[in-house]
Amino acid sequence: MKRAWLAALLIASTAHAHSASDAYLTLTVGEAAAGGVIHGQWDIALRDLDFVLQLDDDGDGRLTWGEVRRHLADVERYAFAHLRVEAGTRGACTIKPTSRMIDGHADGTYAALFFDVLCPRAAAATLDYDMFFAIDPSHRGIVVIHGGNDVATAVLSPQHRRIDLPR
Amino acid sequence: MLYVTVRRPDAPTRIHRAICSEYLRMRTHPSGPRQRFVLPTALAMLALCVGQARLQAAEVAAAPFKAPYVPSSDAEPLQEVPSVADPAVRQMRSLRAAQAAAPRDLPAAIRLADAYVDYSRQVGDAHYAGYAEAVIAPWMSEPRTPAVALVTQATILQYRHQFDDARALLDAALRSDPRNGQAWLTLATLDMVQGDYPAAGKDCAQVAGSAGFDWGLACSANLRSYLGQARQSLALLTQAAAASAGAPAGYQAWVQGLIAETAERLGDWPLAEKHHIQALTLLPQDNFLLVAYADFLLDRGRPREVLTLLADHAQSDTAFLRIALAHSLLHSADAPRYTWIMAARFEALTLRGSDYFGREQARFALQLQHDPQTALDMAQRNWQVQRAPWDARVLLEAALAADQPQAAADVLEFLRKTKLEDPVILPLASQLRERLRQFAGGAP
Repeated sequence: MKRAWLAALLIASTAHAHSASDAYLTLTVGEAAAGGVIHGQWDIALRDLDFVLQLDDDGDGRLTWGEVRRHLADVERYAFAHLRVEAGTRGACTIKPTSRMIDGHADGTYAALFFDVLCPRAAAATLDYDMFFAIDPSHRGIVVIHGGNDVATAVLSPQHRRIDLPR
Repeated sequence: MLYVTVRRPDAPTRIHRAICSEYLRMRTHPSGPRQRFVLPTALAMLALCVGQARLQAAEVAAAPFKAPYVPSSDAEPLQEVPSVADPAVRQMRSLRAAQAAAPRDLPAAIRLADAYVDYSRQVGDAHYAGYAEAVIAPWMSEPRTPAVALVTQATILQYRHQFDDARALLDAALRSDPRNGQAWLTLATLDMVQGDYPAAGKDCAQVAGSAGFDWGLACSANLRSYLGQARQSLALLTQAAAASAGAPAGYQAWVQGLIAETAERLGDWPLAEKHHIQALTLLPQDNFLLVAYADFLLDRGRPREVLTLLADHAQSDTAFLRIALAHSLLHSADAPRYTWIMAARFEALTLRGSDYFGREQARFALQLQHDPQTALDMAQRNWQVQRAPWDARVLLEAALAADQPQAAADVLEFLRKTKLEDPVILPLASQLRERLRQFAGGAP
């Protein structure tokens, strides 16, 4: 009797699914940011990071600030390997991490990675994102872009990995 | 368009507070304007407020808004994660290592994917369904995907209520492997959820032929409880339970859960409760079983016990709804905040395109937002996708509350044809038929 078949049965009447993996990317561009620099904040769920990087050093099922803090350099390295900003023909922009904090959301605690993006002046930029897609195609990057008086939003997914950033 | 200033990591601005307060007001007082802001701004507000509010269930008096921060102590606990103390977690780790060592080995991938799906269902965490999907993705993109991979992917899609896509994969799997017991069982479940009982009957017969008599018996017994044959269903399930003494805890818990559900259909509350508890004794942390028992307790007017039952399960969206409902029934001071958080969580799901909680959203709109029209719209949309007894119930409740009995016509016809017996649903149906008669007779 295969235990795995129970997955089919016990879903019988309803799917009792907790929300899947979301990360939040907040960008400030254009006049609202000084000197053509794009300011970013990237909130990534500690649960998601633990699955990939195994942050729970003492294996007690609870991530403390000490454990997270000790892994933050790895977290940053992993995260920014999955984020790219390019200025078209002028090449890649530089992503410079500035600070790391903790942020509380409705569904758990997130790492908040702050960063600046330095692009060649007067270049239209695009952002490419593939965080977690290879291990979890249900991950979504929720983007909020502040530019001048406007707020724009986008949802990044395995099917939509790129957005154009407003000037 | 709302003007939003630049965020700074040190302190929230007055404008951010104003946005979040407005959002909080919208969410907890739905009698106010609901669609006041254009969609992008609403999403921005959501991202700002959901992203920045520390909304812990344990907090009572704290303001809903807090900026990112650096904890002051290494010992500060931040997040609970699956622990290696849990044997399921250890098993997943070792299967993951085995699969990483042999990435082209299909059986290793299926074992890992099935373990992820099983864990996903058990704790009510959709992340693991995503991990499972990634593991079998290489085979899904092959021209001739093996039947086992098709069935695992179908299970994942069914979990997300993508029933048509799941059905297509199951049909394909059965074409290449007509005696695949898991495929027949999954198809039977799908047909029952979608209210196609004749098809489910045939599927259950195939289950008996491919997976074995016991599985087929439980499958048929389950089906009967939807057809007004709850007594026979109970007798057969009791037989199945007696025959299952040596079976894995998961199977026994499933049968116990079905007995509980059937006992509720007969209005035998003590019997139902006995079997809900037995099911949970076998699988203590199972999200599906916990939520089923919570719904039973809510119906019996026992909300305080729901809070105890689900205290450690607030991470599951469906469990969280029952917690919020319990707070509302208790008229607790925290009820508005639980309602607000639930609304934020549903919106986050909608934002990311994971829109498969129609039934839960309808219940939320009716019972916590006191918005029968929205509840009815959601319940009707949900009915197009799934037709389990609970889906009928939410639609009937919403149609009554909105005083739109004609909106229930489809469900009333379905109940008449299938002959479902249920002590909660049938009175609702009677009331609606009476309203329809009054409408037809021109009565006030």
